[in-house]
Amino acid sequence: MPSSAALRLQIERSVEHRFPSALTPVARTIREVAPTGIAEVDALLDGGLPVGAISEITGPESSGRTSLALAFVARRTADQMCAWVDVADAFDPESAAANGVALQHLLWVRCCSADRQVKAKPWSRLDQALRATDLLLQAGGFAAIVLDLADTAPEHGRRIPLASWFRFRQAADSSRCCLIVLGKAGYAQSSAALVLECASVRSETAGGNLLRGFEFNVQRGRERFTHFSAGARKPPASTWSANAAWKSDRRA
Amino acid sequence: MVRKCGMEIGQARMKDELYACVHVSEFPTQALLRLRPDLKGKPVVVLQGEATQEAVCSMNQHARRRGASLGMTRLDAEGITGLVLLSRSPQGEEAARAILFECAATFSPRIEDVSHDTSCAFVLDIAGTERLFGPPLQFAERLRSAMENVGLHSSIAVSMNFDTARLKASAARGIVVIPQGDEAAALANQPIAELPLDEKHLETLAIWGIRTLGELAALPETELVTRLGQDASKWRDLAKGTAAHTLQPIEPALLLQEFCEFETTVERMDSLLFIGARMIDCLVARAAGHALSLASLTVEMKLEGSRIHHGKIRPALPSTDRKFLLKLLQLEIAAHPPPAAVISLTLTAEAGLSSKVQLGLFAPQTPEPSRLDVTLARLKAIVGDDRVGSPELDDTHRPGSFHMTDFTVEGNVPASKTSHARMALRRVRPPEPVRVDLRATKPAFFRNRENSFEVIAAYGPWKTAGCWWSTEGWDIEEWDVLANNSNGLTVACLLVHDRTHNEWRIEAHYD
Repeated sequence: MPSSAALRLQIERSVEHRFPSALTPVARTIREVAPTGIAEVDALLDGGLPVGAISEITGPESSGRTSLALAFVARRTADQMCAWVDVADAFDPESAAANGVALQHLLWVRCCSADRQVKAKPWSRLDQALRATDLLLQAGGFAAIVLDLADTAPEHGRRIPLASWFRFRQAADSSRCCLIVLGKAGYAQSSAALVLECASVRSETAGGNLLRGFEFNVQRGRERFTHFSAGARKPPASTWSANAAWKSDRRA
Repeated sequence: MVRKCGMEIGQARMKDELYACVHVSEFPTQALLRLRPDLKGKPVVVLQGEATQEAVCSMNQHARRRGASLGMTRLDAEGITGLVLLSRSPQGEEAARAILFECAATFSPRIEDVSHDTSCAFVLDIAGTERLFGPPLQFAERLRSAMENVGLHSSIAVSMNFDTARLKASAARGIVVIPQGDEAAALANQPIAELPLDEKHLETLAIWGIRTLGELAALPETELVTRLGQDASKWRDLAKGTAAHTLQPIEPALLLQEFCEFETTVERMDSLLFIGARMIDCLVARAAGHALSLASLTVEMKLEGSRIHHGKIRPALPSTDRKFLLKLLQLEIAAHPPPAAVISLTLTAEAGLSSKVQLGLFAPQTPEPSRLDVTLARLKAIVGDDRVGSPELDDTHRPGSFHMTDFTVEGNVPASKTSHARMALRRVRPPEPVRVDLRATKPAFFRNRENSFEVIAAYGPWKTAGCWWSTEGWDIEEWDVLANNSNGLTVACLLVHDRTHNEWRIEAHYD
């Protein structure tokens, strides 16, 4: 009586002219991940955000997207260079410093409205951000690039052509750069390796006059390189908190 | 006057080393008389020092014959009949020194300055110049003639030993050519004071009866070193004309500058870059000739209407990559185009040491400096010069105060001590004015141009004020506000009440 392995080999050979390795599971590549620095989120993501891929952090205002991105960038800027492409010019250096971001290792690109530019090039902030991100990805050497579309209206964000996202994905992969996209919704579609959906849970107060922090919920919306295992399934969501800087020793 | 020592002058052959020392004695006097032909043949002394303590520091032969001496006060000098008194002129001496050097440089590119006190002297490395200027004697005559032509009387000594030529030129008058092997004999009669000896050793040697270099050279080396120390060996070598010396030539300042004046005005960037590329090629080649790179490039364009347009290129690392520098020039001109047609273009470069970066297999990846420069220039062309860089917090209590600095890949950063995520703010630039309704001194409702918000909770106020002594002062109340907008979404924002102008605005959102 033939063994199951021999039987599988026999079937594969018989159909290999149409389906090569029909019954052999495709070898999966284990993607390198970079920790976010938030234990709850890292546990949810099996270690962190994927390196050399696009990760989207989505959610409405005050849902913890920027805090999560800053926590990640703080880890990456410890010994590497990062860039923050800021569409709405909303980046707050004080908050970044309070989160531990090494500001000397952070390249901040502040997009501006076309009327402010010296040259009369009618590029909108979004166009500038996409061009800047493309340049930075092509230059290489950045461990993480944050494309901050958090204040961009979803209808504008969805108008970003898919070709741009494909190009970003290829460039991020070749330069081993984590491209983080902050937005109110997911824009990169199939080019995104990971989509995180953030939401605010509650605020933490003290004495009725002091805001001490927020509790956020993060949910794994989509993951391209999910490693399926026979064991227990990971929880799809996790809760984490961000404290005010004045909760400990100093204010942001 | 030409003198020869030992063997026939013409037999002195050019070997690997051959030096000619040109010595101008009484240089302060000669520098002044060079421009005063009316004083030729008259006794002249040069005085230096404060007005009341002036003393003679230099004089010509005529003055010496009249009885003038060094250190003589003005009062004493005025007592000598017919003596012309002049004040020392450092500028005149500097100009005369420059002319002397320029004249010497036409004979040899390798020149060391051995001037001291009131004399000016240069030693020229003339090895290999026989075919250009003839044998040593002829060389010396031509050199002395050139010095006479610029109005300076000099003495010249030629020797295969550097110090022998130097010492002999300072003591001799006219031209002396010292053949190989006759150095000790040529120096034998010179006083021992010409060696760099201190008072103590001069006194010791005087007690021993040693007064000339020849007598010093005759002493046994071991015993001399035993009594006077290791320096004595060097003095003895100098006296014998065998001391080794490495010539330290004067390096003229390296000026990396290229200039091009156009026949017709140029308006197209392509034409400018075409010329600029050639100029960069020349600058890079000249810098590379000195084993240097270009650390920065200053662009100066003369425009129609006598205006000047400036630009500056500063790569992260000094570079000799022509294409890279040309790309930076292109981006600089594209970002800051000249407002009018260009008449002339000047490129001035600062030289820097060539960059050597040791890469490591396990070193964290960083942007390649030259590529990063081009990327930053392109980013600046897209969003503006002042909107690309690294933020640096200002040393102030003013909320949200920072300035932009250039982004570089160098430098280590101290490890961060923050281990827990902090609430992040998203700034609203410029702050958005809002109308606020208060309830029991707390914000209860506010609206901007697009939306209206109902406050769920307001935490505060946090009062800050500063710089009250200047026009940049601030006096504000901060409120951390949770509010529902008209779409039913809850937002957390930083609401600020400016007490100076009594206005409310949204400064930032928590996210």
